[in-house]
Amino acid sequence: MSTVGTKIESVKSLQDYREELLAGRDPATRCVRVCIGTGCTAKGSLAVLEQFRKAADEMPGDAEVVESKCTGCHGFCERGPIVVVDPGNVFYHGVQEEDVAEIWRETAIGGRVLERLLYEDDQTGKIATTPDEIPFYSAQKRIVLAHNGVIDPTRIEEYIAAGGYAGLTKTLDSMQPDDVIDEITRAGLRGRGGGGFLTGRKWRSARRADGEPKYVIANGDEGDPGAFMDRSLMEGDPHAVIEGMIIAGYAIGSSRGTIYVRNEYPLAVKHLTAAIEQARDLGLLGENILGSGHSFDVRINRGAGAFVCGESTALMASLEGRVGEPRAKYIHTVESGLHGKPSLLNNVETLANVPQIIFNGADWFASCGTEKSKGTKIFSLVGKVKNTGLVEVPMGMTLREIVYDVGGGIRDDKQFKAVQTGGPSGGCIPAEFLDEPVDFDRLTELGSMMGSGGMIVLDEDDCMVHVAKYFLQFLKAESCGKCTPCREGTAQMLEVLTRITKGKGREGDIPLLEGLGELLEDTALCALGKTAAYPVLSTVRRFREEYEAHIVEGRCPAKQCPGLFRYEINAEICNGCRLCAKRCPVDAITGEKKKPHKIVQEKCTNCGTCFDVCPFSSIMKV
Amino acid sequence: MPTVTIDDKPIEARLGETILQVARRAGVWIPTLCHHEALSSSASCRICVVEIDRGGWWQVVTSCNYPVRGDLTVRVNSERAIRGRRGVMQLLLARCPESKELRKLARRMGVDGTPYPKVTEAQRNCILCGLCVRVCEERIGASAISNAGRGVERAIAAPFRMPSDDCIGCGACAAICPVGTITVRTHEKEVEISPFKSRASLVRCSECGCPVGSELVKQALADRGGPKLVEILARRPICPQCKREKLAKELTVAVPSGNRGTSVRTT
Repeated sequence: MSTVGTKIESVKSLQDYREELLAGRDPATRCVRVCIGTGCTAKGSLAVLEQFRKAADEMPGDAEVVESKCTGCHGFCERGPIVVVDPGNVFYHGVQEEDVAEIWRETAIGGRVLERLLYEDDQTGKIATTPDEIPFYSAQKRIVLAHNGVIDPTRIEEYIAAGGYAGLTKTLDSMQPDDVIDEITRAGLRGRGGGGFLTGRKWRSARRADGEPKYVIANGDEGDPGAFMDRSLMEGDPHAVIEGMIIAGYAIGSSRGTIYVRNEYPLAVKHLTAAIEQARDLGLLGENILGSGHSFDVRINRGAGAFVCGESTALMASLEGRVGEPRAKYIHTVESGLHGKPSLLNNVETLANVPQIIFNGADWFASCGTEKSKGTKIFSLVGKVKNTGLVEVPMGMTLREIVYDVGGGIRDDKQFKAVQTGGPSGGCIPAEFLDEPVDFDRLTELGSMMGSGGMIVLDEDDCMVHVAKYFLQFLKAESCGKCTPCREGTAQMLEVLTRITKGKGREGDIPLLEGLGELLEDTALCALGKTAAYPVLSTVRRFREEYEAHIVEGRCPAKQCPGLFRYEINAEICNGCRLCAKRCPVDAITGEKKKPHKIVQEKCTNCGTCFDVCPFSSIMKV
Repeated sequence: MPTVTIDDKPIEARLGETILQVARRAGVWIPTLCHHEALSSSASCRICVVEIDRGGWWQVVTSCNYPVRGDLTVRVNSERAIRGRRGVMQLLLARCPESKELRKLARRMGVDGTPYPKVTEAQRNCILCGLCVRVCEERIGASAISNAGRGVERAIAAPFRMPSDDCIGCGACAAICPVGTITVRTHEKEVEISPFKSRASLVRCSECGCPVGSELVKQALADRGGPKLVEILARRPICPQCKREKLAKELTVAVPSGNRGTSVRTT
């Protein structure tokens, strides 16, 4: 009989342990699941969890047991804190501390549904009791995120009971390292971190590379603005990443694993640390795993906050204790990486796919997706979309389905303008391509990229020059400064974009930007610099007329760049409340009380205060 | 032996050699700034880019650190390679418009000026090639200076931008600096490495009083050298000029009058 704390010595004992865990469970057990992902935590879910636990403690001893547990991110961060009650999979959103007593009394004990906390579709008015009835979830296909929101990420028993480490047992029990690599290759898994390189091929190169020891490194240095796929995985299902790493170690002949996580992800670090300790206690990490002869251990390395450290060579320099700066990759890191030894670097989402591919087989994985992009992809859907959050969809789903079906369309029913994919190195895809399938190759053909899965939805109010400027500001700040083109080129491009957004653009600025873009792509040292111009080049390509409007006419068509549009008061709406006049810092608003006001354009500095304060939306941008 | 074909000219190369080494041997000029034969490559200035044939497509690579691993076809003077090198030079010129050294190299590369304004602040025309940092670490073993800051804020500095105790005042950084950013200043009793403000006590020539080095360099040499060097260092310090004159005087006396006029080699 095995329990937590004693080492499991064979594949068979792990299977027995799982069956024992499952046998001890009553499917009718009442359970309250509280999301403690970073999004829900920010909205107060820890206090909610605390209240539920207190309620559980206060139950009389002879009463039916009701469990209260924490889970990882459900993805629907927009509606957090999220609480799900079993049995029935009743999905409550926006739960606050004061709701706890009622949920406990009515749903957890009484089995009755509280309608006021259920999701209501704002278009159809339909009320959903379970996640499957919510369009945000029903259009998704959650494979990698299957455990997120279901299991308690801080307890290894939950992962094992849910079928965790079954991929590892299959590997150790019946597969040779080459079989594992063949399976991953046949599955067609491609790197989820940005490059989209075939994972099987990378593993094969790492296996063939000469040198000892070999390293397996999980890249959890997610740094794209607005992206949190990896964070949610590490927080919500840390064992999936660890299991993927052990399998990778077995496949390439490595016993040393490192997870590189940003220090800005404290919860991910906490959950991973706990997961590693528990896996060690059970003998799933360490010497002679499950009596197979394969040894593997994992350590965590926290990144100190540099975007460029997500780049393979910079990450390895950082791991070596040096400044996180990239170096030339003319000799690949699979041959000479960390400490000059063969190193396999995979994104955490890639690794989290591995256990399932091994357990369910390559054919199962390859049955989902497009010809050259298999499986699913997690996107962080953010921006001007109604349902922001983390979504996992099959490769090949169209942008329209992602934005409108999963995302619920554009907020305030404004006009869709573009979707920015691929993070700072990506590009903007305009409305005419909404029906294109999303996969690695199609996005590249459209002049953007898959990247690590950021998806920022832009509407009619977003100025594309401003969007390009935003990313350039980010890249200029995150450029390590080692190579000339990236350090100087991003600064020069930002200079040009800044003057364009101020209405001081010059004729020739667009070709200048295009020239700099080409120069960076050709001569910069690492991928950060080589792709730094993509946000500019893709917006110039798709929205050239917007750049020209700024430069030639001094007009910002989206009315976002201050100074390139005017504020005016709609006399039909204005009731003369005087609020704008009182708040205007330059006294540019005139008019008598209870009569429509006017903005004196000569005095106005376009600060936008009146626009923000008007309670009747009578201020217009023209 | 692999053959490296540079601009249609085949050259025999050794495995592991860089494109730059092969090109230099064949007399093909490629500009460099951050490269030095005595130091590891950093390939950070990007001024030495060339194109290589990757079988169907051409890749722009830095010649200073691209290793020869088999037969290789290289274009040094293709339109794209030249455009890359000139583009990088224009960015550097925008950063350091006053640098004479940079303008001279630019002219040789066919670059007259730059279309870009000055948007980044360079300390005394520093192009951030990093040669000083590498020579201090790899050759001197002092690691007194390093890259500080990130992106356009990057600068070469001693820790906390304070005078460094690790600096031995050898001046190797000043000697290797391609744009004259770093200089050695001598004060009455000290040598100062500027702009790092690090100081070391000065050793003067016992004959003429001119500066010959720093006390810490003497110590470093004594620590690393054999007994012979220790013995030499224990003697009274003398500058090369005085030493030459002194030796010349001794030899003049020793040489018979009939042999006067032939060259006398001194060290």
